[in-house]
Amino acid sequence: MININDKSITRKDSITVEFFYEKTKRLFKLKLLSKSCDFSRKIFDQNLHRPGLALAGFVELFAYQRVQVLGNTELRYLNHLSKSEQKKSLENIFKFEIPCIILSNKNKPTTILKELAKKYKIPLFSSSDTTTKLTYFISDFLDDQFAERITIHGSFVDVYGAGMLFVGKSGVGKSEVALDLVERGHRLVADDVIILTKKGEGILMGAGTNIAKHFMEIRGLGIIDVERMFGIRAIRFQKRLEIVVELEIWDEKTHYTRTGLSEQTVLISGVEILYIRLPILPGKNITVISEVIALNYLLKHYGHDAAKIFQNRLNSRLKSKNAMAQRGIDYFEHDFE
Amino acid sequence: MIELIVTIKNKAGLHTRPAATIVKLAAKYECEFFISRDGMNINGKSIIGVMTLAAEEGAKLTLTFDGADEEEAAKEIVDFFERGFGEE
Repeated sequence: MININDKSITRKDSITVEFFYEKTKRLFKLKLLSKSCDFSRKIFDQNLHRPGLALAGFVELFAYQRVQVLGNTELRYLNHLSKSEQKKSLENIFKFEIPCIILSNKNKPTTILKELAKKYKIPLFSSSDTTTKLTYFISDFLDDQFAERITIHGSFVDVYGAGMLFVGKSGVGKSEVALDLVERGHRLVADDVIILTKKGEGILMGAGTNIAKHFMEIRGLGIIDVERMFGIRAIRFQKRLEIVVELEIWDEKTHYTRTGLSEQTVLISGVEILYIRLPILPGKNITVISEVIALNYLLKHYGHDAAKIFQNRLNSRLKSKNAMAQRGIDYFEHDFE
Repeated sequence: MIELIVTIKNKAGLHTRPAATIVKLAAKYECEFFISRDGMNINGKSIIGVMTLAAEEGAKLTLTFDGADEEEAAKEIVDFFERGFGEE
């Protein structure tokens, strides 16, 4: 089975505002409004908060540890207050250790907001996106940052659009199968060190590391650069994990599936993934079988389950009188080809 | 199963030559050998994995050996780490 233990799993418990800004300024066009601020503040939570009630003075259960988003409503509220009221209202939230404030919808900060942000050294950003859009993008980004990450030893290939992860003992031939698949036009996601990240519920996304990229070790050859060798068509950066194929040396005592009627799955970080044990035998072309696994997976996905259809055909025949299999063609009709 | 923590002692860190040696040493044994660092758990029998760790001088790595010949494997590989890969 796949080797996953506590040592393979990481989860960030916080990110700094500096990191957040570095990544999001490019992605979501965030603009920094206050130059003198404390960039080492930390974000501990993937959710965002709109501090309407806190601005109005109600700070019980105030989710201060989250990124604070001020939209039209909050700014309209601040603008309708007198200067002293506005100062009081903002200090209500500034006395908490909030990570940063983002103004959505091209909103401009009020003078007092700017002054206080400077005084309390709170990073202040603005975005031209609408609040809903901005909230969606940033939540998604933070979700990814705070998601569980699992490192797995294997080879990860996109075979006809199905994300297939080959696992198995060292030297069993995972990289060789991956290379063979690449040569046949499939795309390598990563070899050797695969990092899986949970995305939403029930989805695992896989990618390589920034060091190994699309490099691969072939025993007896050494390290090769797949992207350079086979071109851009041979690689991709990320892929959803859909099938785990365990390669192993044929073991007489192990029971391998013959009909494919019952599917085995493996649970990775709470996500169920189709799991296939593939014994290696002389004369067996693992690459072609891998392609067939992918195609069969796609067929099932589109509602065609070969094992079930064969079973149903047999069951209906068993009910009839002349159940035994006959020749598939009644009469050759002068066709002697 | 044997689990040990080792520290990288040489100045150059765990670069290609020692990485290749570790992989070669590990390949002699039947047991599973994993190296982990900050949530990255890699197979110690794969050169790309070991190089991906990018373990610099002073980095602490957890070595895990699991299998029939785990003791012999641990002894030889830990010794290689202890000697600072035979480098300064």
